[in-house]
Amino acid sequence: MNLKILWMYHDLMDLYGDKGNTAVLKVRAEKRGISCIVDTCSIGEEKNICDYDLFFLGGGADREQSLIFEDLIARKEQIRKAMDENTAFLLICGGYQLFGKYYKDQDGNVIDGLGFFDYYTESTDRDHRCIGNIAVQTTMDGETFKAVGFENHGGQTKNVSTPFGKVLYGHGNTFDDGSEGFMNDQVLATYMHGPLLPKNPKIADHIIQRALKKRYGHVELTPLDDTIENKAREVMLKRLNAAD
Amino acid sequence: MDLRLKIVQWAHAVLSKAGRGGSFPGELAVRLDKHFIEKFKMPKIVVIVTGTNGKTTTSNLIAESLRACGYKVINNRRGDNLNVGIATLLAVNSDNNFNIKADAAVIEVDELTVYRQFRNLKPTHLVVTNFFRDQLDRAGEMETIIRKIQDVTDDFTGHIILNGDDPNVLRIADTAKKAQIHFFSVDRNSISQKTTDEASEGKFCPRCGKPLKYEYYQYSHIGRFICPDDGFGKITPYIRVTDIDYENETFTCEGQKFHSFINTIYAVYNCSSVLAVLKTLNQNLMNADQVFRNFVLKEGRNEVFELSQPCIINLVKNPTGANEVMKYIVSQHYDKNLCIFLNDNDQDGHDVSWIWDAHFERLNQDDIKTIVCSGRRAYDMALRLKYEGLEDRIRVIEDSKEAIHWLNVQNMPSHVIATYTALHPVRAILRKEAER
Repeated sequence: MNLKILWMYHDLMDLYGDKGNTAVLKVRAEKRGISCIVDTCSIGEEKNICDYDLFFLGGGADREQSLIFEDLIARKEQIRKAMDENTAFLLICGGYQLFGKYYKDQDGNVIDGLGFFDYYTESTDRDHRCIGNIAVQTTMDGETFKAVGFENHGGQTKNVSTPFGKVLYGHGNTFDDGSEGFMNDQVLATYMHGPLLPKNPKIADHIIQRALKKRYGHVELTPLDDTIENKAREVMLKRLNAAD
Repeated sequence: MDLRLKIVQWAHAVLSKAGRGGSFPGELAVRLDKHFIEKFKMPKIVVIVTGTNGKTTTSNLIAESLRACGYKVINNRRGDNLNVGIATLLAVNSDNNFNIKADAAVIEVDELTVYRQFRNLKPTHLVVTNFFRDQLDRAGEMETIIRKIQDVTDDFTGHIILNGDDPNVLRIADTAKKAQIHFFSVDRNSISQKTTDEASEGKFCPRCGKPLKYEYYQYSHIGRFICPDDGFGKITPYIRVTDIDYENETFTCEGQKFHSFINTIYAVYNCSSVLAVLKTLNQNLMNADQVFRNFVLKEGRNEVFELSQPCIINLVKNPTGANEVMKYIVSQHYDKNLCIFLNDNDQDGHDVSWIWDAHFERLNQDDIKTIVCSGRRAYDMALRLKYEGLEDRIRVIEDSKEAIHWLNVQNMPSHVIATYTALHPVRAILRKEAER
């Protein structure tokens, strides 16, 4: 059994340690005897997105985001096909925004997104951003748990039909609407950096299962020793008064 | 006479008598009068030093070198680089009429706030060391920092001394059209590399967005680069350093040999910027050599404490600094323990994700025996190391005193890495532990 991950624009969309997410997925898969291939794909590179089980796109600064935009749009039909073929998606911050209807930047310029979902993002001015530690409660594929991360975004994402989680501490999709990210059976899109996966091994494992499902159906994952992971998360949950 | 100035000076005098420094007087000053800093009649030379890494070292080197040239110089030598620290510096060196009693002021200014004070300080020189990813939660994004500095320098007519080997810094030359721009640059040397896994910013031309071509990298994204399309990066260095000899800690500039205080590439860059400042003032560059030779790095920069075995402490603030410190540690070939203090207070940055951008896999060396993780985010650090296959060597000791004591009783040389707010408390603990 193997897991094939496509890490999009690894050289441009790699703010805030998002690369840690691929490291976690790889190690957690390999510890279960599942070999894991992480391929990268940047501007102008030819990769067949449909060949992969998981599509990962991290966050970038506005400038980097504008550099990749054309290239991403050119891949739209292939991404749609990958979606139809049950590829799993993990999208962080800028990656999250680009899958929506549009993104309006600080100067009022509107960039059309890929438009796969109905949410849209409007940026605030340069001096107001949602920044800080964040704790959410989420239910992923039937399992309810708490997750922590660090958000740092100016964009306010609205009209999200199915959020990833409920905000226990921090901002989330907008300064104060109480919801965080977007999720359906295939796609997890979130503002949570940290990076997201190291301290939230349950999310990591659900992502691995979603990705494996494409070619292998439901795969049970043997439990791992997550003592350090859980301690790191609990320290933060406690500090944010979000612990049980 | 200004009563507020008098009160601030008096507060400083009282505090110094009590043996306490700090920037309380400046805090008071700014609270009493928010235009306080603007009121000073600045000396004829005002050098502002900003950038991500090396500000304190560089500004001290510049101040000392100007002193060696015979100038009377004031500077915020301890790196109090926010407005309260700067207000303190000016107030305590001023007469009753806001005249600064010096020929030159060398002022280290925080890169995130420099745009606020730049014009008020009436600079004659601006030195920019480098721009790396640093404390991004405080900064927003690097783009914002660069743009704000570009905004305040677009009508500046003084000297701007720029690291010509840093594409982020070079952007300032594109917009500061009225200034006299001078680049410092360091030639290819024994540590230069064709490729890198360290660069994260500055991969693309800021003018056209195409990838920059690098002839060589020194560290992180610092190196010789050019945009093949529009020539961004094509510079004529004002100060060009060649022939770095790491073994003998020397380098050459304008046909003369200089000595460095530590054999690292970033120290050579710091020295190059100092030489550029002297050159704009038509001073003999060799005046700086004595300073370079005898310079003692500030607290927490390769500082040694005599525990049962020597313990070397280094401050880290960002991935680039951490990478360079780790390179230094693994170049020391003896059995050792490590202790990493990771805090996330205001001055550290609340976001510790930067540890995932740093190359901690370099610590996977046989002579590194145990890595103690401590500080407010000890478990985040442990988790980072776990993902580099160092799981068996991790030991989490959240309490700083216990962590240092553990190092001491192992009777093995050790290295300590600490983030900003951990540095001084840990140094105090090390001092005590050394006396046990």
